[in-house]
Amino acid sequence: MPSIRRSESAAGLVGLGALGIATALIAMVLPPAPEAPRYVGAGHATPRRGGTFVFHHEGDVRGFDPHISFDELSNMGIKLMFEGLLDYDPETVELVPRLAEAVPVPTEGGRVYRFRLRAGLRFADHVVFCPSPRSAEAPCPGRALEAEDVRWSLEHMLAPETGSPGVTFFGLLEGFDAFRAGRASHVSGIRVLDPRTVEIRLQRPDQTFLFSMAMTFAYPVAREAYALYGDEVSRHPVGTGAFVLEEWEPGVQLDFVRNENYFIEGQPWVDRMVYVLNLDRRAAVMRFRNGEIDHIHRQTPADYRLLRGYAAWAPYRVEEPKVNIWGLGMNCELAPFDDRHMRRAVAFALNTERWNRARAGRLLLTGQPIPRSLPGFDPDLPGRHHFDLDIAREEMRLAGHPDGYPEPLTLTMSDGETARFYGELVQQDLREIGIEIEIRQVSFPIWLQQTGTRRTVLMALQGWNMDYPDASNFLDILFHSRSIHETDSENKAFYSNPEVDRLLDAARVEPDRQRRIGMYREASRIIVDDAPWGFAFSDRAMEMWQPYVRDYRPNPVWSNFFRDLWLDLPRRRAGPEDFAARAIPALAPFGGLR
Amino acid sequence: MIELVLKRVATGVLIVFAATTFIFFLANGIGDPALATLGPNASAERLAEFRAQHGLDQPLVVQYGRYLGEAVQGDLGRSFRDQQPVATVIWNRLPRTVLLMGMALSLQYLFGLTIGILAALRRNTWFDTGFMGLAFLGISVPNFVSGPVFLLLFAFLLGWFPIGGYGVGFVDHLWHALLPALTMAIIGASTEARVMRSEMIDTLGADYVRTARAKGLHPVRVVLAHAARNALLPIVTLLGLHLPYLVAGAIITEHVYAWPGMGRLVIESITSLDVPVIMGVVVITAVSVQVGNGLADIAVGALDPRVRLAKS
Repeated sequence: MPSIRRSESAAGLVGLGALGIATALIAMVLPPAPEAPRYVGAGHATPRRGGTFVFHHEGDVRGFDPHISFDELSNMGIKLMFEGLLDYDPETVELVPRLAEAVPVPTEGGRVYRFRLRAGLRFADHVVFCPSPRSAEAPCPGRALEAEDVRWSLEHMLAPETGSPGVTFFGLLEGFDAFRAGRASHVSGIRVLDPRTVEIRLQRPDQTFLFSMAMTFAYPVAREAYALYGDEVSRHPVGTGAFVLEEWEPGVQLDFVRNENYFIEGQPWVDRMVYVLNLDRRAAVMRFRNGEIDHIHRQTPADYRLLRGYAAWAPYRVEEPKVNIWGLGMNCELAPFDDRHMRRAVAFALNTERWNRARAGRLLLTGQPIPRSLPGFDPDLPGRHHFDLDIAREEMRLAGHPDGYPEPLTLTMSDGETARFYGELVQQDLREIGIEIEIRQVSFPIWLQQTGTRRTVLMALQGWNMDYPDASNFLDILFHSRSIHETDSENKAFYSNPEVDRLLDAARVEPDRQRRIGMYREASRIIVDDAPWGFAFSDRAMEMWQPYVRDYRPNPVWSNFFRDLWLDLPRRRAGPEDFAARAIPALAPFGGLR
Repeated sequence: MIELVLKRVATGVLIVFAATTFIFFLANGIGDPALATLGPNASAERLAEFRAQHGLDQPLVVQYGRYLGEAVQGDLGRSFRDQQPVATVIWNRLPRTVLLMGMALSLQYLFGLTIGILAALRRNTWFDTGFMGLAFLGISVPNFVSGPVFLLLFAFLLGWFPIGGYGVGFVDHLWHALLPALTMAIIGASTEARVMRSEMIDTLGADYVRTARAKGLHPVRVVLAHAARNALLPIVTLLGLHLPYLVAGAIITEHVYAWPGMGRLVIESITSLDVPVIMGVVVITAVSVQVGNGLADIAVGALDPRVRLAKS
């Protein structure tokens, strides 16, 4: 039937033509994508109670056990449901009391800390507090939180069978070793003096100890929950925080509602928090721009460039460097990087300005081991790493390789596109000084294992995120020789310098703040000179929130920490007059340092 | 007929067995479920404890034997990730995927059959060529392209639909399901429109249709009751063939539209290496595709004596 066959091929052409015309028509009549927020607040000046705040993450939550979970996703929920004895002031990053009445002043030469709990603290209502919790149908009133809970929680976290990754931060507690080895049933350095006072004794003074007490690992938990749920306790969080978990649909959504027992009268402001899981960052940006979710914290490079250009959003976005450091780690125990000059040659050959351009200006080039927002960072640190081929070539000459290194060197990267991307940048940069790089990619767990094992990995891209806001969190962990182990080494450059060790140990017990900072700065200078890493950058994140979300500022320690915000409701549809009045310039492009 | 049914059941069982075996070894071979579940911060003791608890320290063949033994008794194990029985995890998600697939199938038949019949009646007009051309395109554009494009166009820019998600309450669920269901329906509707058109052209020329017309029956009755009913036979066979595509389409579409059904469960459990859930979904999907296919085969056999006779 020739007519049908002819009509079939004609149909294809006509269909394509029709689609082309249709696309053009649609493109002409489509409304432009909104460049300004869709909704604005009602205009209240003082905080108000009520409303639902919706936030998201593109990953999935493992659980909410403050003693075990230690990742961004879990912490977003843990910080809503639990409180610690201490926390940080979001402006000054100084320690402030939460469940404790005050930040304790150490006595006995800096070895003893006494925490006094606030009066009237209670856990959230939960079935675990019922006389027969297994058959209980409704939650029973939460019981009082006492000093004994602080002691029980710390010991539970330290117990070997718990397997908490936080144990290393508490190694200076008196009686730590005996308890961990099973020779003692309690940690002798933790004592309950009365129902509201707990005393903690250290083996020797440690200026970083209070930071450990502000970490989630030290948060008091309800032992009834651990008794009832055992291994599944992370799915049944019971704390003293502002919110309680109402519903959890795994992989989809979490709903938190106000904890009526919260110790701050009238708080939290928001009635309900909805945590959407597994939401792809592209879809999240679309929903955000349509006013369906209230906060975003990750964007594709394309969305990032777009959103950053919209002036009307400027008051509702912040772009800050994360408190982390990234660099190229070199194994100081393996040739050729046992030679300091080889390491320095590599450090100065890394064209990090080019890296920054390739990442749309999202990197903050610091060139040193202490991140910018921490005391001890020095913008003018002598010898800080930066791209300078003259220095790099001179160091190659001093290392005895003026014409380049004779053999290719292996760079071990974890899997993923970003790792590959940086690997290739390093490869191109080092070719300039005659070093050939072979890239080897392995899965992240294998990468962790191999880079932590002595004399195994020659070079690797390294990064470290802050656990607590103090230089010791970076320098002690990454560059003290005490952090070198046969396996699971935290000092993955296997860098050892007795002078650095001495400075770091002295800083750890030094009570004078300015002298401490001076010691960290000096240690930082020596480390930069020795170049166990080619220090490169801190990365930045752009956060955005809806105009009706009030009193939210990104917290310098906790990412996506929403506890204290309030909603200016009812929100209303925004008009051009809402944004035309103020001329707000788009964010200026980022340069290098500062 | 009985022989046909038995044959179909035997092949089905064999295919389900082959699929589960393949996926079991694949899922266990791509990584370490203990590390994926507990995270890179987990201590060696906890990892070892987890492996012992779930029997992951035993040889794969032993693990597989145990899994099969429990599965045939209806026990699909417990999810590594949320510690719930796999059956519960799947049961939470299954109705949503069934809703989505049901809507997709309805839309697919609604559009596919209507366009097919109309195109056959108006053969070689602008309507016929235009829609058959669009059907060409519909078959060629995969879900992972049409999904994000529809989301951007109809949900974000035009604001006609919600931007993914599931909604609250039944009507809201239907409303949220509409755009993803349309996305899924396009490929099937395009195939059906083309098949229906050519079948209708055949039957419209058949003697019994001419007779019906000659008897003076109403043209609508002639088309629907006489021609279309007979043209539907291959469409029933197509339903069986479409099932696997619908399942595959659901995985991609649910991911794009953040629809919390089985398809997204598959992706979530693969990224977290939750082997019991991966296996559970594979078993249930394989069984339902086999049952659907088998029913379609048997239905065709029952409807069309020629098939029955040829097979026996």
